[in-house]
Amino acid sequence: MSSIPFVFDVLAYGAIFVLVVLGLGVIASMMGIFNFAHGEFVLLGAYTVYTLGQQGLPVWAGMIAAPFAVALVGLVLERTVIRRFYAAPIVAMLGTYAIALALREGVRMLLGGQFYSVIAPMVGSYSLGDVSISKWRAAVIGITVLVMIASYLLLTRTRFGLQMRAALENPALARASGISTRRVYAATFTLGAALAGLAGGLMVPIYALNADMGVPFLIKSFLAVMLGGMGSFEGSILGAAFVGATSAALPWVIKPVVADMLVFIIAIAIVKFRPDGLLSMRRS
Amino acid sequence: MQNDDTNQRLQSYSRRLFLQRASLLTGMVALGGGSYLFNPKGAWAAAPIKVGIATDLTGPISWGGIPNANVAKMVIEEINDHGGLLGRPVQMILEDTATNEQLAVTRVRKLVTQDKVDVVFGGITSSMRNAIKDTIVNRGRTLYIYPQLYEGLECTKYLYCTGPTPAQQCDTFIPWLIKNGGKKFYLPSADYVWPHVLNKYARKVIEANGGEVVGEEYFPVDHNEYSATVNKIMSSGVNVVFNTTIPPGVAAFFKQLYEAGFGKKGGRLACVYYDENALNITPAHEIEGLASCLDYFKAVNDPFGNKVQEKYTKLYGTKNPMTAGSASTGMWRGINLWAESVKAAKSVKREEVAAALDKAKLADGVGGGCEVVPGTWHVKMNMYTAVAKNGKYEIVEKSKGMVDPRECVKA
Repeated sequence: MSSIPFVFDVLAYGAIFVLVVLGLGVIASMMGIFNFAHGEFVLLGAYTVYTLGQQGLPVWAGMIAAPFAVALVGLVLERTVIRRFYAAPIVAMLGTYAIALALREGVRMLLGGQFYSVIAPMVGSYSLGDVSISKWRAAVIGITVLVMIASYLLLTRTRFGLQMRAALENPALARASGISTRRVYAATFTLGAALAGLAGGLMVPIYALNADMGVPFLIKSFLAVMLGGMGSFEGSILGAAFVGATSAALPWVIKPVVADMLVFIIAIAIVKFRPDGLLSMRRS
Repeated sequence: MQNDDTNQRLQSYSRRLFLQRASLLTGMVALGGGSYLFNPKGAWAAAPIKVGIATDLTGPISWGGIPNANVAKMVIEEINDHGGLLGRPVQMILEDTATNEQLAVTRVRKLVTQDKVDVVFGGITSSMRNAIKDTIVNRGRTLYIYPQLYEGLECTKYLYCTGPTPAQQCDTFIPWLIKNGGKKFYLPSADYVWPHVLNKYARKVIEANGGEVVGEEYFPVDHNEYSATVNKIMSSGVNVVFNTTIPPGVAAFFKQLYEAGFGKKGGRLACVYYDENALNITPAHEIEGLASCLDYFKAVNDPFGNKVQEKYTKLYGTKNPMTAGSASTGMWRGINLWAESVKAAKSVKREEVAAALDKAKLADGVGGGCEVVPGTWHVKMNMYTAVAKNGKYEIVEKSKGMVDPRECVKA
């Protein structure tokens, strides 16, 4: 019986990480851009839910609106800023970092630096004998699985997914075949932003809304993408599941402060031995 | 001809624009970003007394810094409305320390060397106080007043602490928790100086009162996954969770504790920095029954505090309320104690003001009067224990008179 909370915890935290990394993974693997503003896209999703809630809309409506709102922000940023950086990944990192700072401090100003709670659409927990399972965390696990499947199908089974992969593997040839890589890149970035927005919207009832809520996830999310291997979408999901699950599991056996470090050490060790990522899918 | 005309107009326009921009730029350079000067209203013959306020208007601690700056501005305006100090107006120079210690040192250095302020108030976290105190007190030879509740052990001459200490927050509170919760304590904490030192003191008081600490655990400051700890708390029959994890992580922790049914099964949650401001962090039902111990709550409902509170709300609204857990009451107390000392010393010189401050008293104040304990740089004050009910606090116990800070006492 005592193993149930452990398993649930590992699943729930793993799911949250996968949700956060999905968007980052799409942008990193399909476009080669390390988006340092990803945590702030997550924040904007959370902020959307909160703001709409203040207008009297139900939380679930905010959660549906969040990916669209953040997608719009992502699209505008891609058209105005990000597209200038495709040739220079390092500059792109700095550029997105600057965007992150501006977004974070902007939201902080709007919130007056305060923390605000958002009540989940499902409050409380299911009881299994002595063990309580949080309803909303259980729902997040379910939604994550659905979003994961949908993203996978979109990338592998649709025409748009094919164009996306073509634009990544050989942009020149893609353009020659009549694919507007400009438009595909814009769409990819928008999709990544939308996924971040969704993650933020679903996460905000678990954590409190505050300007720094995206920050703790950012570095571990990059670790997940690195672990999964650049250029592989499935890899980043696997990496995220790994990072999320170890982050949740380690504090059960060792001190949380040590666990936090150990996650990085384990991940770096894996990257050392499998530099191309867990799946080792080399792409040229 | 017309062409020339247009050209001329364009030239003069751009010259004016240039001058405007240049003056704006000079102004910005002179003050530096994040510096704000508040000149006293009205005409004054004498040169102003300069007060430096260094606090976090931006960055993660801005929830505390913004109301701190508001309180300072309000109190200084009050002083000026009552004729200033020693016939001189008080000018406030506000510096944004941006929750960044390195930056803060530069900002504070500007206050003491360039602006030559007569006193500095500010800092919220202990790391901030430690970063800036040397620049103010030793190199700057200026008086420094630190307003936040903290872990104690700061015994620096010319550095006065006007917020509650561990003794003030634990001595009456922990016996109450044992009576109204139980004997088995768990201490989940953020991994930095305040929880470490506070827990050491709390543990002593818990054990002295017949209680027991079942677990003491430290998390990275931004930790957000607490299932392992919640499970330990639930399976070991803990009565009281004495929490010192801080925002943002605290939100996830309280939620997980609630979902595991800690409160429903009769557990008592305690957190000594929880004030009206913190109630936003978690939905009300998740912290029903949470107990806190501070020098002021709105629910204290003292006429003096109500009046100050009313004025504050009228000036600054309700978004960043004046509360005890975010150093606002400490700031109020600090500036008023300092002003009284300046009047008593008839001087703004550090040595003389410090001598007066050492025995300064306020007959009344937010949450009641207070007095500096001579030779200890700390303040005696009333303490209140409150319990959260339906998103509001109810006072359940008042200290019998002022509580001693018990800091810097020579053995």
